[in-house]
Amino acid sequence: MAGLEASLNPRLQLAAIAHVRLQVFLHSLKTKGGVLEFASRIFVSGLLTFGGLAGAIGLGVGARAFVREGRVEWIAILLWSVFVFWLLFPIMGSVFTETLDLSDLLRFPLSYRSYYLVRLAYGAFDPSTLLGCCWLTGITLGIGLADPRLFLWAALVLLLFALLNIFIMQMVLAWVERWLAQRRTREIFSIVFFLLMISLQLLGPLAGRFGGAVGSNLKVVGHQLTPVQRASPPGLAALAISSMAEGRPLISVAALGVLLAYAVLVLLIMGRRVKAQYRGENLSEAPANTSTSAAIPVKPGWNLPFLSAPVGAQLEKELRYLGRSGPMMLTLITPVIMLAVFGLGPARNGTFLTRSPDLSYPMGAGYTLILLTNLIYNNFGSDGSGIQFYLASPVRLRSIILGKNLAHLTILLGELLVVWISVSLMFHPPTLFMTVTTLAAILFALPVNLGMGNLLSIYAPKRVDLGTFGRQRASQVTVLLSLVMQALVVGCSVITFVIAGAIGKPWLAFLVFLMLAAFALLFYRWTLVKAESLGLERRELLTAELCRVQ
Amino acid sequence: MDLAAIATEALTRRFGELTAVQDVNLQVAPGQFFGFLGPNGAGKSTTIKMLTGLLAPSSGTIRILGLDFQQHPVEVKRQIGVVPEGMALFGRLTGAEYLKFVGRMYGLDRETAARRAGELLEFMQLADQPKKLVTDYSHGMQKKLALAAAVIHGPKVLFLDEPFEGVDAVAAGTLKSMLQSMIARGATIFLTSHVLEIVERLCSHVAIIQRGRLVAQGSLDELRSTGVEAQVGGEDAPTHVEKLTLEDIFLRAVGGARAEQELSWLG
Repeated sequence: MAGLEASLNPRLQLAAIAHVRLQVFLHSLKTKGGVLEFASRIFVSGLLTFGGLAGAIGLGVGARAFVREGRVEWIAILLWSVFVFWLLFPIMGSVFTETLDLSDLLRFPLSYRSYYLVRLAYGAFDPSTLLGCCWLTGITLGIGLADPRLFLWAALVLLLFALLNIFIMQMVLAWVERWLAQRRTREIFSIVFFLLMISLQLLGPLAGRFGGAVGSNLKVVGHQLTPVQRASPPGLAALAISSMAEGRPLISVAALGVLLAYAVLVLLIMGRRVKAQYRGENLSEAPANTSTSAAIPVKPGWNLPFLSAPVGAQLEKELRYLGRSGPMMLTLITPVIMLAVFGLGPARNGTFLTRSPDLSYPMGAGYTLILLTNLIYNNFGSDGSGIQFYLASPVRLRSIILGKNLAHLTILLGELLVVWISVSLMFHPPTLFMTVTTLAAILFALPVNLGMGNLLSIYAPKRVDLGTFGRQRASQVTVLLSLVMQALVVGCSVITFVIAGAIGKPWLAFLVFLMLAAFALLFYRWTLVKAESLGLERRELLTAELCRVQ
Repeated sequence: MDLAAIATEALTRRFGELTAVQDVNLQVAPGQFFGFLGPNGAGKSTTIKMLTGLLAPSSGTIRILGLDFQQHPVEVKRQIGVVPEGMALFGRLTGAEYLKFVGRMYGLDRETAARRAGELLEFMQLADQPKKLVTDYSHGMQKKLALAAAVIHGPKVLFLDEPFEGVDAVAAGTLKSMLQSMIARGATIFLTSHVLEIVERLCSHVAIIQRGRLVAQGSLDELRSTGVEAQVGGEDAPTHVEKLTLEDIFLRAVGGARAEQELSWLG
């Protein structure tokens, strides 16, 4: 056993972990992607610094005003905003980005104490912690400026509050990590957060429309929630400070004691989770379902008339794939939500769409087409290593692409129907003229996008996971060219609409779109033929990019 | 005279300055279980990719069942089955959906594709979790599914890139018996593997590639009897009287030597 220390030194182990993290970071700078990542981090750090300073100043000014006006307990409002951010930001981050799996460290002879410390220390350098600490410092300074006698006490209380936040965040993350370890729960989490973000967008319009009516009810609910609020960490921290300001030190110390008890409790709960990990619980992608059920006879695939077997099979496969992608399904309901956002403006003045409801259908349809950009311009992205099957199978690439494009068409038609119904319910049914003209515009815009998308899917493929949000960047070439293409197509359509309306011959737009559609279809047909040879030429790039392990 | 199931002539593949495969002349007769061996980075995967249409050769020709791959790609692909390195699965389909999809892409009608999918899932012991997505399968289950997909259309030539990697002993037994029954029915199998024991037990013929060049090719008995000196070309290579194992043949062909150096601090 030459060279081995008699006992393990946790400090050396922690230093080794920090060193290896540094090495990983330095090696990442040797790649183009790593440098871009670093540059984007610098940019984000700048934003965070700005957010931290601006937030600290804002919250500090607020705290100073509350203390000066003798409403010290209202500091709870400021602390709640910090608390919610501190909790939500890292959880959202863990859903949308890849996180470091610290349980990898368990293969080393790391003591439970060291492992626990690594988990806590890793969380202490999180952006949310840095921002949260910055904001709490602002609040402390604000209180100190308003009442210097409160400064030290407020600093102590808010220091404990900060530590409690770090512990809570780490505890929640430890559990979230458990749930995110499996694909299904990870996808459910993504969907929940996506819905949360969408509903936040609806808050503004709803408040504008119904704000007056619900205002008085909110006050009643607020009063009823006061005791609960006081027992919460932000409420207790505010109580500890306000009680001291009001000359009730016993209540103040008691509140601080409860805050401390919370911290211990949280550490114990987190310890339970960390202990389970430490004892060898497997948090990696485990088989989700080990229960077995009787084999069910395999039913034949879809019988799709007018389509050859490979094209039909491809269409079925694509629709099954997309149907199982929660994020994709949610993306597809976004046009309806956006219509609601733009349609639910303040009742008095209305929004652009409420003033010009006739335009809601073409706008909804155009937005739907734009939403499909990621799908259309990265045809093979979700296939991953399945691209090898396409290349080794006896099916021509153009049949495979045609099947994919038919799936996109099916989705778009479904979406157009949903948008039509939504517009009818929210405003009034689109006129026959507007409906057919919009469809004619789509008949022009879709083949252009599909054709261009087919070529770019081969030129610049990018592997994506349809099951998760975030980190799904298309290639830069695709992003740029698809933007140019969409701008051209949408611009062309808008100009046609406007000119036809201006000269008093709106039906002319319909004819122009039909004429453009004829050219667009010819272009699309050419891209299908071109894709065949291009795909074979670039098969190495396709397999290298799409089979890449992420 | 029977046409070779697989024949290559001066097959070469260059990646810029690097020549990954150079002047490879392979001959695999119909009905052979052919093992393609080589150390890491020798050119095995590049060769199998060219043989299955996943990679274009820089020069040289490939003929499968007498058909030139470059001129008749679709006809050739119809006759072959492939389990490539990445397995070529579609993760968000169930096993049955994937097999039906593959069957229809190879021209099977809906009913036949469904029936064969069911039979293959049963055979591979994958039928008891019909709703499970492929992405949730274990590595071994994915390998079995990839092999099932490669044979659903009854190919005459099967290309397998490391088919037993990550597969447990029970599943490996199932796969081996299936492959042997295919050979018994006249199919040709071309496989690469790092596990020499498996190749020795299954294959009748082998070829060894080293730094992009074929350094040995023939039946196991031929290679054993000649001590591989005939094709290795080493003048010093002695003709062995005792029976050589495939490991001996392999090490001789690639010029490898067992490490004699001891790590004194180990153990």
